[in-house]
Amino acid sequence: MSPTDAGVHGRIRLIEPACTSCMLCVRECPVWCITLDSHTEPDPDAAPGARVRLVNVLDRFVIDWNLCMYCGICVDECPFDALAWDAHHPAAAPVPEALRHGIAELA
Amino acid sequence: MTGVRVEDWHAAVLAACGDGYDWFDWLGCTDEIGVSDELRVVLSLRRLDEPGLPELLLECRVPRSEPRLASVRDVYAGAAWHEREAAEEFGVEFVGGDRRRLLLDGGVTAPLRKDEVLAARTAESWPGAKEPGESDAGAGAAGAASPSRRRMVPPGVPSPEVWGDRDPVSSPPDPAEVAASVSGGRVRRRAR
Repeated sequence: MSPTDAGVHGRIRLIEPACTSCMLCVRECPVWCITLDSHTEPDPDAAPGARVRLVNVLDRFVIDWNLCMYCGICVDECPFDALAWDAHHPAAAPVPEALRHGIAELA
Repeated sequence: MTGVRVEDWHAAVLAACGDGYDWFDWLGCTDEIGVSDELRVVLSLRRLDEPGLPELLLECRVPRSEPRLASVRDVYAGAAWHEREAAEEFGVEFVGGDRRRLLLDGGVTAPLRKDEVLAARTAESWPGAKEPGESDAGAGAAGAASPSRRRMVPPGVPSPEVWGDRDPVSSPPDPAEVAASVSGGRVRRRAR
């Protein structure tokens, strides 16, 4: 099923295990509403004795729903399908800070 | 598209109107920077007695440095609104036109010219400037990207050697380079 088959562009979901912190969504976002922090560490799945390989580990992923215009460019651009449309809308909040959703809220 | 010289503009429009093209469709402006150092003003006219005919397009190229053109609002009253828009967005002066502001406050000059940089985007820090594996906390000395690596600039912002944080003794930024840089791509790298 394609990410838009759900029909409703309610909110954007982050499928955290699929994210490689490649920064593509952050750079393509026309309104700069995504913030992503990551760090590198040695690949834990590497075979013993193999050359050390660094992998990116996602630390922080925030979508600011104050800024997001639901264009879906990030969903289209993500090469690993880590972003997907969801039928539920982000809930209203009394303060702007509460509309900045992190990894837990976007799951 | 019929090309008209600046000094013939009003007469040519008047002649087209007398020729039966008496219905004003639209008047638009485009910035031709990168192709030529001109602004292109296009006027579309139609005739109501033969609506099936294609529109008559008159174009006039005015220099970007001195964009001055005769107003045609005495021929078509409806052109005044379009001329006000072109005047405000591209800085074209329509001689004899309606000089009132239409959309923007006075401080803004010509926002739709292609060498106009989005100043707000240069002032704000771009979240996409980080490399994969980098974070705000560790972006300094412990950042994953090597310091020699070229920093990315967001779309719409020219690269630093073209505009902005440049050597103060060098010549002022070239508008054509700024326009090409703003529309994406590494201008000077490609030119080399």
